[in-house]
Amino acid sequence: MITETAQRLKEAGETEPRAGRDPVNLPMIRTWLEAMGDANPAYERDRLAPPAMIQVWTMRGLGTVTPDDPLQVMSTVLEDAGYTAVVATDSEQNYHRYLRLGEEITVRSRLESVTGPKRTALGEGWFVTTVSTWFAGGEAVADMRFRILRYRPEPRGERPDVAPLRPVVTPDTAFFWAGVEAGELRIQRCGECRTLRHPPGPACPACGATKPEYAVASGTGRVHSFVVHHHPPIPGRRAPFVVALVDLTEGVRMIAEFRGPRPAIGDPVRVFFDDGLPVWRPDQPVLPTWELTATPTLIISTALATRDFQNVHHDRDAAVRLGGRDIFLNILSTTGLVQRYVTDWAGPEAVVHSIAIRLGTPCHAYDTLTFTGQVVEAGVVEVVGRTAAGVHVTGTVRVSS
Amino acid sequence: MIGRMSAIAGIGATEFSKDSGRSELRLATEAVRAALDDAGLRPGDVSGLVTFTMDSNAEIAVARELGMGELSFLSRIGYGGGAACAVVQQAVLAVTAGLADVVVCYRALNERSGRRFGQAFASPDVDSGWHHPMGLATPGAMVAMVAQRYLHDYGASTDDFGRVTVAARRHAATNPYAWFHGRPITLDEHRASRWITEPLRLLDCCQESDGAVALVVTSLARARDLARPPAVIAAAAQGSGPDQYVMTSYYRDDVAALPEMGVVARQLWGQSGYGPEDVRTAVLYDHFTPYVLMQLEELGFCGRGEARHLIAGGGIELGGRLPVNPHGGQLGEAYIHGMNGIAEAVRQVRGTAVNQVPGDGPVLVTAGTGVPTSGLILAAA
Repeated sequence: MITETAQRLKEAGETEPRAGRDPVNLPMIRTWLEAMGDANPAYERDRLAPPAMIQVWTMRGLGTVTPDDPLQVMSTVLEDAGYTAVVATDSEQNYHRYLRLGEEITVRSRLESVTGPKRTALGEGWFVTTVSTWFAGGEAVADMRFRILRYRPEPRGERPDVAPLRPVVTPDTAFFWAGVEAGELRIQRCGECRTLRHPPGPACPACGATKPEYAVASGTGRVHSFVVHHHPPIPGRRAPFVVALVDLTEGVRMIAEFRGPRPAIGDPVRVFFDDGLPVWRPDQPVLPTWELTATPTLIISTALATRDFQNVHHDRDAAVRLGGRDIFLNILSTTGLVQRYVTDWAGPEAVVHSIAIRLGTPCHAYDTLTFTGQVVEAGVVEVVGRTAAGVHVTGTVRVSS
Repeated sequence: MIGRMSAIAGIGATEFSKDSGRSELRLATEAVRAALDDAGLRPGDVSGLVTFTMDSNAEIAVARELGMGELSFLSRIGYGGGAACAVVQQAVLAVTAGLADVVVCYRALNERSGRRFGQAFASPDVDSGWHHPMGLATPGAMVAMVAQRYLHDYGASTDDFGRVTVAARRHAATNPYAWFHGRPITLDEHRASRWITEPLRLLDCCQESDGAVALVVTSLARARDLARPPAVIAAAAQGSGPDQYVMTSYYRDDVAALPEMGVVARQLWGQSGYGPEDVRTAVLYDHFTPYVLMQLEELGFCGRGEARHLIAGGGIELGGRLPVNPHGGQLGEAYIHGMNGIAEAVRQVRGTAVNQVPGDGPVLVTAGTGVPTSGLILAAA
């Protein structure tokens, strides 16, 4: 039934245009900006809609049924098959231009793929991927690839959680890990002959002294070699990921994970610290860290401002019944917060061309959500939003000023 | 000097599989008994036992199972597969020093059905604390870091790695004891195999195997009187390089090198009086293909960075300039931590190998690379 329906929908191709319920309008924009806490004055001044609102204009209201919508049809079939819970996992939005007040928007969607059943961290489930294109008049103004996971919730505790591999801290290495906690990259330096050394040890191989001290490294260096790890699984990491051996500017080598586009040998990198470990990044500007508390007010007001009436975003009992800890942010709001984080940094004149995000751990009520970001090449910002439970969102935003 | 004082007089092995269905102690017992039978010796003749620190079978347990009597020499060598030829060196030292008359070296492991070395695991080791938490937590990934730099430094390609596997699988295809008997591959199959850790593909990684191998070492004089023609141990060496780590020697100037194998090579040539040009066939430790290229260079079979030219056009295949791993190696036959390679070298010396390399020159064997390692040169009496 699942694969047959998927096949039928795929063959049906793109749906007829479906009109948004309201034209692009200032009240909805204001509500959205307020809920996101986005003070960017450019939208109201220029009578434009924030680009990350694109999906909002054609969201169904509470209880509206659109029988030909492929995502809704697949969701119903999967729900009937016992896959009762849903999370959005990926959203890649491209904005050809910003929408203007008063424009009437339509959307056409098609089913791209349905894959499953797959074992996921949440339980057995199916991934449903759709592609949507928005039009103003006859003009395509934005498109989106959107993926959800429909799954059977599993009671917590059934799966053995594999703990990430943690550093080995000894009296000889404690200074390094204390440095990581303090946001410093420390290199062992001999208290007698001043020779630098990594990895550290109790004695100086150069002069024999047992008087280890440390220097604080500049945190810059160049890639000496790197690997892209695919297999087997590494506890606490999602493959593929890159690990790089870096020649630090000070002259010693060090291993750490590398985050950013695939590097090349010789590329300049800069250290930052994440989850108690040093991590390499391309040596490019870094966005200031942004920390916000996901209050129930934030989660509910943004869900409603994005016209998402799924109960898990405003009804705690429903969220818990479906296996969650509490209500949690919806993907449209995460997209909006990612946009806000980047435009707060880039300034009101910046133009956002695309936002592609992947969701990980849900951001529940009362979680602290911490955004970090970095320019990885001109006009491309990579964003990570993390809660205490793990990475909530990773994303790439293309922006020009 | 220890060269030509002792010999390998017997070899024994279990079958090589993915699930032996029996304990490692039973595998060890079977292999040791087979090696003694091969030599024409009885358990009561054994006076020394040597194995890897990683081996789970106590020497005294093996001795009990086989009903051995008194033992006068017990020893173990560390650093994983780097121990393979070094355990033989231990036996040579014991025999030449007069501490033991007959020493058996053994290695038994359920490496596929039991603990798989290729998986990530939390190690309490301080050195691994600089690598495992950063995501570099498997042997494949650790070798890939060296391999990437090797490609960069010498302009080699991943096809050059693939040619090592193609040769190994060609040899295994005609070896009935090999897991990959009858299953050769093409370079295209290597190119199509999935990434493990770039730049290494699945077909750059050796097998995971269950099995055991044992070797009987005694004095050359005694070996001459035993059942089989002796494989004379013309040289036996161990080596560790400057700033040596286990699989992660990334902190010395040249990452794409194996100076520890250079230490071994110099001793092998020095003890035996042979040079690379004398070697008939080489059994090179092949847990990962890039290290086969780098060993060819460290051992002096070609210049630094030139191994890709040596292996091009079937140079390391049967009939090539230097046939490497005629049994199929650990890529093709089985992964018994290098010990099955020593057994193959003995067969080549005896002239009883399934893929016999013609000639009467010596046979070189190496042990695990990327770690403190070891090597042997075996020759006919």
